[in-house]
Amino acid sequence: MNRNIIETFDLTKRYKLKGRNKDIFALNNVNISIKEGEVFGLLGPNGAGKTTMIQILTTLLNPTNGYAIIDGYNIIKNPKKAKAKVALMLGSNMLYYRITGYDNLKFFCNIYNVPNYKEKINSMAIEFGLEKWLNQYVENFSSGMKMKLALCRTLLLNRDILILDEPTLGLDVKSISFIVNILKNSNKTIFLTSHDMNVVEKLCDRIAFIDKGYILKIGTKEDIKKLIQSEIKIEIKIVENQEKLKYELNQQTFINEYINTKEGFIISLKNRKYYRDLLLILGKFNILKVKEIDLSIEEMFLKIV
Amino acid sequence: MINRKEFKKYLLQIKALTERNIKLKLRFKYNLIISLISPFIFVIMPLIILSQLFEFDTQFGNWTINNFLLYQFLAYNIFLLKNIISEFPNQIRIEKFWKTIPSLIIAPLNRINIFFGIFFSHLILIFIPFTIFFIICYLIYPISFFTIISIIVIFLLIALIFSGIGLILGIFAISNENILGILVFIIDLVFWASCITYPFEIFPKILQEVISLNPFYYIFDFLRATWIEDNIISTIILHPSNFYILISITFIVPITSVFIFNKVYKKFGIVGY
Repeated sequence: MNRNIIETFDLTKRYKLKGRNKDIFALNNVNISIKEGEVFGLLGPNGAGKTTMIQILTTLLNPTNGYAIIDGYNIIKNPKKAKAKVALMLGSNMLYYRITGYDNLKFFCNIYNVPNYKEKINSMAIEFGLEKWLNQYVENFSSGMKMKLALCRTLLLNRDILILDEPTLGLDVKSISFIVNILKNSNKTIFLTSHDMNVVEKLCDRIAFIDKGYILKIGTKEDIKKLIQSEIKIEIKIVENQEKLKYELNQQTFINEYINTKEGFIISLKNRKYYRDLLLILGKFNILKVKEIDLSIEEMFLKIV
Repeated sequence: MINRKEFKKYLLQIKALTERNIKLKLRFKYNLIISLISPFIFVIMPLIILSQLFEFDTQFGNWTINNFLLYQFLAYNIFLLKNIISEFPNQIRIEKFWKTIPSLIIAPLNRINIFFGIFFSHLILIFIPFTIFFIICYLIYPISFFTIISIIVIFLLIALIFSGIGLILGIFAISNENILGILVFIIDLVFWASCITYPFEIFPKILQEVISLNPFYYIFDFLRATWIEDNIISTIILHPSNFYILISITFIVPITSVFIFNKVYKKFGIVGY
């Protein structure tokens, strides 16, 4: 069993806003644990507390209350050792646009004391398709290239824990797929925030939903799907007697709604436990197709929040 | 106590910071050139005024027709070094808005290395004009080799003091830009009342009393005396208080600045972006 490599205990960050008596909670008693090697996604709308969480975990910000343990080190009592375990990527920030890509990577390798950095930079640049651009000023890079360079920088630091804030923000499908593949094969513990549900779905072992500083749900993709899909949608394609079936289903109390489609309809089942009852009815008809419609994480997120 | 491996690591980090600072500055070369020329503007007016005054064979303290030119060119070099004070908050503020500052904050980097990174990069960037004016000073008023070394050491100590002040401004550039504005104003006042380009005796009595409270006045006076007297030992004996002020401020300011940097950052963090 993998050990917990990131743990937070009642992590709270409170802000006092100008002209307001009430405090605003960016984080409110957040308790999460992430296992070694796990990819953990934090999803939430703007202002939910995602970036605050990252800033606290990387010791950029002190919590008002609570603490976190990073690979055995308390971020409050031992911030130096805690932050030495992580590599942080804040989108395409943290790059110097006015020097070249190579100079950026070289600078951070020297600061982080990375051995044989020249070879590592060159091989990573080839892997990321940046070799032709490496000696150009970063200000001339496209958004995708900046993001790739930022990821190069993060991976070169050779830390076991990657903390990534919006690693695919504003990128096209090809670049997103490239970054997802790189991260999937990195064999690191990854804590990431993203707005891109597809990225989270493809990449993360577990997902937490956060809003207004509260963690609303934590679980695997499947857990969350199960939880959300207490009401499920089912697509039914029927060869004949469509109206008869519709009439029969209409008599049932466990069906919430019908949506007509070209070859049949989509029904909304109140709860998964009525699946058997539904199948008993469907068995009387010449059914072409019965398919449960998967909720995307985006739909799940909207449901939860 | 740091071991040899750590020391090597620190040196590598300081080299990396220095190299990066220079590359960032060289990206816009004209800005750099202007920043090297502009200190001369502060010297032109006193040069004109004093050259007129000294035509009447007057003397203000130890400022005479024979040495005022030397003092003005020494002042230019002091102004070049003084730019390091604004260099800290400027660079740190730029990094704040570039959002590169978190990368330095979470890096395994001692704050003192950031200090030395800016310190050395500034010294390298001003090296050419500084050397030219140093040579001009030498041609105006030749001194012994030992005094040349002594003067270079004094300039380095002054640069360290300025860097310390710069670091204090730097942390306020991160955490409280309101205070930064106030501090910059205070520092301008302190420099105005330090007799870099004018003799102490030219000021009215009441201002002289204010100037005599200013440690920078003693430090710059010690630099000029070292050059003119051309014997560091006798200068120390003749001006012991100036020497003690220079040494004590050299130690106090950088150490205090790192302490203040850590305290203020811990309390306020990054504010304003």
